[in-house]
Amino acid sequence: MSDISLPRIQHIVGSGLVACVGAWVTYVSYTQQPSEAFLFPRLIATVFFVLALWTFIKACLGWTKVGNGVSVTQLSNLAPGLLVALVYIFWAAKGLGFYTATTIAFFILLSLYDPAPHTALKSWLKRIFITACFMVVMYGLFALLLKVYTPREIFF
Amino acid sequence: MKTLLAGAAMALMGLTGAALADGHANYPERPIMMMVSYGAGGATDFQARIVTMTAGNEDALGMPIAILNKPGAGGRVGWNWLATQAEADGYTLGAYNIPHFVAQSIKGGVQYSADSFEPIANWGADPAVLVVGADSEFNTLQDVVDFAKANPGKLTTSGAGLFVGHHIAALQMEKAGEMKMAYIPTKGGGAAAMKAVIAGDVMAGINNLSDAFRAAQAGNVKILAVADLERNAFLPDVPTMVESGLDVDNSSVNFRGVMVPKGTPQGIIDKLAATVPAMFENSRVAGKMKAGGSPMHIMTRDEVLAMWAAREETLKELLAGL
Amino acid sequence: MEFIYYFGDVFTPINFGLLLLGTIGGLILGATPGLSPTMAVALLIPFTFQLEAAQGLILLGAAYTSTVAGGAVSAILLKIPGAPANIATTLDGHAMAQKGEGAKALQLSFLSSAVGGVFGVLLLIFLTPVLAKWALAFGPSHLFWLAILGVTVIGTLDSKSVVKGLLSGCIGLWLATIGFDDIMGAQRFIFHPSLGGGINIIAALIGLFAIPQVITMFARGRRDDGAEVIEVQKHPIRGAFAEMMRNKRAVGIGTAVGSIIGLIPGVGGQIAGLVAYDQSKKFSPDRDKFGTGHPEGLIAAESANNAMVGPSLVPLLTLSIPGSPTAAVLLGGLLIHGIFPGTDLFDNHPDVAWTFINSMLIGQILMCIFGLYVAGLAAKVARVPQSVMAAIVLGLAVFGSYSVQSSMGDVYVMASLGVMMYFLERFGFSAAPLVLGLILGPIAESNFIQGSMIASATDGLAPYFLSGTLNIFLIAVVVASVLYSAYMELRTRRYTSMEEIIG
Repeated sequence: MSDISLPRIQHIVGSGLVACVGAWVTYVSYTQQPSEAFLFPRLIATVFFVLALWTFIKACLGWTKVGNGVSVTQLSNLAPGLLVALVYIFWAAKGLGFYTATTIAFFILLSLYDPAPHTALKSWLKRIFITACFMVVMYGLFALLLKVYTPREIFF
Repeated sequence: MKTLLAGAAMALMGLTGAALADGHANYPERPIMMMVSYGAGGATDFQARIVTMTAGNEDALGMPIAILNKPGAGGRVGWNWLATQAEADGYTLGAYNIPHFVAQSIKGGVQYSADSFEPIANWGADPAVLVVGADSEFNTLQDVVDFAKANPGKLTTSGAGLFVGHHIAALQMEKAGEMKMAYIPTKGGGAAAMKAVIAGDVMAGINNLSDAFRAAQAGNVKILAVADLERNAFLPDVPTMVESGLDVDNSSVNFRGVMVPKGTPQGIIDKLAATVPAMFENSRVAGKMKAGGSPMHIMTRDEVLAMWAAREETLKELLAGL
Repeated sequence: MEFIYYFGDVFTPINFGLLLLGTIGGLILGATPGLSPTMAVALLIPFTFQLEAAQGLILLGAAYTSTVAGGAVSAILLKIPGAPANIATTLDGHAMAQKGEGAKALQLSFLSSAVGGVFGVLLLIFLTPVLAKWALAFGPSHLFWLAILGVTVIGTLDSKSVVKGLLSGCIGLWLATIGFDDIMGAQRFIFHPSLGGGINIIAALIGLFAIPQVITMFARGRRDDGAEVIEVQKHPIRGAFAEMMRNKRAVGIGTAVGSIIGLIPGVGGQIAGLVAYDQSKKFSPDRDKFGTGHPEGLIAAESANNAMVGPSLVPLLTLSIPGSPTAAVLLGGLLIHGIFPGTDLFDNHPDVAWTFINSMLIGQILMCIFGLYVAGLAAKVARVPQSVMAAIVLGLAVFGSYSVQSSMGDVYVMASLGVMMYFLERFGFSAAPLVLGLILGPIAESNFIQGSMIASATDGLAPYFLSGTLNIFLIAVVVASVLYSAYMELRTRRYTSMEEIIG
C-alpha cells in the first residue's frame, strides 16, 4: 500500500468503472420487464457485478498484478491519432462519404506518425503515393469486387 | 482546355437537369438493395435471391438487386431497421413475411406496423404444415389432437419463433381443437425447428411446406396436415386441417413479397409495382422456384394491400385474448 | 469407395478451373477483414445460377474451404480475425508475426489447415451415416452444457488472471444479450439506436482485435529508429514441415476437437479453434509459452478450423438440416438446381455429391499450395512501417465492419468496443475471453430457454437437464474444467511474489 504508482491509480479507476457498469447492468436487468426475457441477463449481471466488485476491491487493496497501464508519454502519443480516428469514424465517414473521409484520415495519420522528416518534400510525395495506393486497393476490393455500397456524400 | 472543361460542365448540368425534370423516369440508376430479415440460406433468403436474379435484365429493372441480410428475433431486427433507419429513396427494398410482421406489430414492442411500409408485389405463399418424426406414433392429425386433448400442455411442438406463421397456426389449432399444446419457439428459424422434430427433441412441429416437403422426401418426417384452404400441389395426398376436422383457415400461410419503407416517392412505387410482378413471372425464376420446392403465388400491389388489411383484422381478433 | 469413381470429374478443365478460381478467390475473400466464410459463399451464389449443379458446388465448396483458411492471413499479419473461427489463431499467430516469424506462422497455419481439412473431409466421406446420428444426439440440454463448457474455458484463455478472464467473459456474455431477445422478442439494453440489431459478432471481432492494435501503434509515437516495424523473415517450407512433425500432439488435438465440434449443429465452426487451443494448452508441457508466439497454439487452432469444415456438412448432406450458417447457404446452392440433400442427393445425383466432396478434398491441398506461396510472398513484402500499418488497419476495420450488413451502426459499435478494449487490455483484461462470451451467450441462453420449455411440458427441469449419459458426461467435463481452472489460479498465485503483484 506504500507506493501508489500511476498504473495502480489507473487500475483502480479502470476497475471502478467496470464495477459501475456492472452495477448499472444489474440494476437495469432487475428492473426491466418482462421478467422471463431478463432471466438470463439477471444471472449474468449478478456474476458480472460480483466479479467486477472483487476486482475493484483487489485493485484498491493492491492484491493484484497491475497491467502496464498507460504512461503519460504513451497518452500524449496516442491522443492525436485517437482523436483523428474518432472524428473519422463517428463523423467524417458518414458526413463526407467513406472514400473521401478515409483518404483524408489515412493521410493525416501517416503525416502524424511517419518518422520521416516533415520538412522534406520527398517524404510528403511518398505519403501521397502510399495513400493513393491504399485507396485504389480499397476501392477495387470493396466497390468493384464486393459491390458494397458505402455512403458517398461529396465526390466519392 | 477551357472549352473542354466548360463542355464537361454543360454536359453535367444537362444530365442533372434532365433527371430533375422527368422525376423518376431514370430510376433505377444504381444497384438496388433488398433487406431480408432472416439469415442467409433460410427459406425467405433463398427465395428472395431467386426472384430477384433477373432484376438486371433490360425488360425488368435494368439494375441488379443485392440481398442484405439483417436477421434476428424472428424478423423484428430487420423490419425495425427498414421502418426507422433505411433511406426511403427507392434503393432500399425489403422482403416482407405475412403474417409475421403484422402479428409482431399487433403484439407491440416494435417500431413498425403495416402502415410503416408500402407493398410492391407478392411472390410466394408457403403454408404451414404439421410434421412429426418419421418413427412417431402419430399418423393423422386426429391422433395428434387426441393426444393433446388427453394431455393438456404436454404436446411439445416446435416452430420458428413467437408470432410468426408457425405460431399463428399453433394458436389457431389450439383454438379450433379446444386444446392446449406446448409451443416451443426455436432460435435459428425453420431449420432448427425441423431439426428438433427429426431428432425427437419435440413430439411434433409446425414448419414451412417447402422445408417439410424436402424433409419428407428424405424420409425424415411425416407431414400430417396443411394449414391452408386447399391441398397443395406439392403434397396432393396431405389433407388440409379443415378436412381433418380442425377449423383452421389460411391465416398462417406465409406470404412473401417485396415492400419499401413509407416515404418512398410515389413515382418509384408505381414504377416498381408495374415491373416487379412481371419480373417474378420470368420463366427462369419460376423454374428455379419449382426446383427448390418453393410454391409461387404472384400478387400485384393492389391485391397485396387488400391481403394485408384482411390479415391485420383476423390477427387482431386471434391475438386479442393473449 | 464410391468417391474414387468420381475423382476424374474434378479434373475436367472447367471443373478444375472453377476449383482454382474458388480456392484463390476464397483465400483473398477470407483474408479480407469483415468477410466471414458465410458471406463469401453467399456472395458467390449468384455466379452459380449460370453453372451446372456440380460445377456450382465445386466453386462454393472450394470457396468455403479456402475462406476458412484465408482468415488466418489477416489474423496473423494484422491481428484481425476474419471470422470467429480465427480468434485463436491471433493469439499465437500474431505474436509470432511480431517476432518476425510471420512467414513461418503462415506456412504452419496453411499446413495444419490442410492436415485438419483433409482429415475432416475423409470423415465426411467414410463415416457420414454414423456421424449424422451423433449430430442429432445433441438436443437443447446438451447444447446448453456444451456452451457452459465453453464458458469454463474462458477463465484460462489468454489471461494473466482467472478472475479477470471470467470478468471479461461476463462482459462478453452481457454484450451478447443487447438487442432483441431472440425467442421472446423483448428489447434489452438498447440504449442507442445502433444497438437495435444487437452486437454483430463480426463487427465486434474487428473492433475488439484491430482497434487496440491501432491505438497501441499510435501510443508508440513517431519512431525514428525503425525497430518497431513488422518484418518478415524468410522461412524455408521444409522447416515448417519439420515444425509440424515436432507438434504432432497439437495437430492431433486440433484435428480431433475440430472434427467433433464441427459436427454439432449450431455451435461448431465458431468455437472449434478456441476449444482446440485451450485443450492443447492444458495438455502441453510448455503451456506457459502459449500466447507468446508458440507454434503449438497456432497449429492446434488452425488444424481445428479446417477439420470442422467436412463434418459441419454432415447434417446438411444426410438430413437436409443445415448445421451452420455456411451450410445453410450451400443448401440454397443445391436447391437452386433442384437437388434436395439427403437420400435424393446420394441416390439420384451421386455425381454431384461426390464431385462436390472430392473437390473439397482437392481444394484443401490446392489451398495449402497457394497458401504456402502467399507465405513466401509475405517474406518478400517490404518492411511495413508502424504508421502505415496503423492507418491501413484502421481503414480496413471501418470498411470491413460496414460491409457486414451495410450498416453505420456496426461501425460505431466496432469503434466503441475497440477503444474500450484498448484500455481494458492495459489492465490485464483480454479480448479472447470476451469474444468467447459474446459467441456462447446466445447459444447458452436460447438452449436453456428452449430446454426449460420442453422440460416444463414433459419431465420437469432437473430430469431434463441432469439425466442421460450425454448430459452427465458433459457435466463431468464441465466440473473437471472448473477444477483445473481453480488449480491453475492457486498455482500461479503461489508462484507470484509480492513485488510482481505490485509491479
